[in-house]
Amino acid sequence: MDIFLSAIFAGTSRGAIYALAALGLVLVWRGAGVVNFAQMGQAMFSTYIASTLIAQNYSYWIAFVVALISGGLLGALVDLLVMRPLNRKKSSSALDSPAMRSTIPVIASLGILGVLQAAAGMIWAAEERGFPTPVNSLGLVINGKIMPFTAFDLFVIGIVFVTLVATTYFFKGTGMGLAMRASALNPEVARLSGIRIGLVRTLSWVISGVASSLAGLLVTPSANLSPYTLDLILIIGFTAAVVGGLDSLLGSVIGGFALGLLVSFVNVYDAPEDIFLAILIVLITVLIIRPQGILGSKEVRRV
Amino acid sequence: MLEIKDLVTEYGSVKALNGISLVAHEGKITTVIGANGAGKSTLLRTISALEHPRSGSITWKNKSIVGLSPEKIVRLGIAHVPEGHAVISQLSVEENIEMGALFRMRSNKTDVLLAIQEIYQLFPRLEERKKQLAGSLSGGERQMLAISRALVSRPSLLLLDEPSLGLAPLVVEQIIQTVNDLCRNTGLTVLLVEQNANTALGVADHGILLSLGTVAADLPAAQMKADVALRAAYLGY
Repeated sequence: MDIFLSAIFAGTSRGAIYALAALGLVLVWRGAGVVNFAQMGQAMFSTYIASTLIAQNYSYWIAFVVALISGGLLGALVDLLVMRPLNRKKSSSALDSPAMRSTIPVIASLGILGVLQAAAGMIWAAEERGFPTPVNSLGLVINGKIMPFTAFDLFVIGIVFVTLVATTYFFKGTGMGLAMRASALNPEVARLSGIRIGLVRTLSWVISGVASSLAGLLVTPSANLSPYTLDLILIIGFTAAVVGGLDSLLGSVIGGFALGLLVSFVNVYDAPEDIFLAILIVLITVLIIRPQGILGSKEVRRV
Repeated sequence: MLEIKDLVTEYGSVKALNGISLVAHEGKITTVIGANGAGKSTLLRTISALEHPRSGSITWKNKSIVGLSPEKIVRLGIAHVPEGHAVISQLSVEENIEMGALFRMRSNKTDVLLAIQEIYQLFPRLEERKKQLAGSLSGGERQMLAISRALVSRPSLLLLDEPSLGLAPLVVEQIIQTVNDLCRNTGLTVLLVEQNANTALGVADHGILLSLGTVAADLPAAQMKADVALRAAYLGY
């Protein structure tokens, strides 16, 4: 029973981080229509920046804020330096088919991931380093008993819910959120409505960059920081987003928690080596049985 | 007044528009008719800057608008309803309308709310369905929504691309009549592209007949409608 409970708790706090990673993916999908595989590379980069600041004796929170800002800036740079120039190249007939137009940014994002990992390796010598947590990461003690979850776990779960509520409100309740959805769904009609889609897209890259940096900062305490540590989070986060429906913020969070529990149970009752296999099985099963995901809309998946 | 001179637009090496000149007078309906591939849609898409002309001029209220972005052109009072009931089906009816006014929401919110009210009076069915997804509407309702999305920006020039496409004759009649009323009551200038020449010429003041990217005839609408030889040569009836 104790093992079961601790698997649940461990799964929930892992799930919160996968949910954040999935949220970041969904944000850029809904705002710019791109599946961004460079996302966790951006997160890794800004986590390194935070870690460098902390090593120079700045407080955790200053490093935290600087990392979020640099995550946002990095998102803007990806859009301005890579995605926009690619979008402008539609005069070439090879790039003009709808299938190519949605595939090319994805391939470009994989390239950006490689560049970021190589750059981080060059700057920070690819050494593994630890990363602190902002709140206590020892098991909470209730009634003299050590619980299988920590104050840090609660902190992470809290941040996920705040992010979910804030982004959901942003999309459904603000004009900029509507502009963002419109630009991703139908750029032509959005432009004819007077929406500056270039600006809107850059903004969605910024927001997604901040959300993924948040995921990077929060996941690193349980792993060591290296240019490649966050790859696993990207794969699980992507699966969570697909399970949730890729265009649904709530769906991606549900998917994140579900995968967190799955990973944790495989870890406890089976063996850590099978985690990848389990994730692949979930991904393929969802794609076969319910390709639009738990909460996704059918039409979006046509893209 | 919208004035177009010697407009040329190419897709690759194909000249979709090959030297078009025309005028759309203020407060009037000018209709552009012609067979498939005559360049009607390209003409509207070039005006709203979705396509870039190779040469020629487009002047609106005595200022050239060539080279501006579509986002900018809406702000000058030119609203384009593209072909095929262009609404965003994954957004609600309400959101589709609001989308057309986002750019002036901050500067003039009271007028935006008023404009939305006026639209619901014009098309009560849209108000009944405002929470539904646009994808769940019938073809006619979608076309009304697409027009509403354009009207909420309070345009002085409305570019309408084949509003009758795929709709039942009764619905076509209703939509064309609404556009006609808007023009007569509010002084809206309309440039109406249609394949359904009879209906379009029935309400228009002026007719422009396009053929293979050039203007084949430019006549008062009544006169064009009565010209049997012209109709037989270009429209096949």
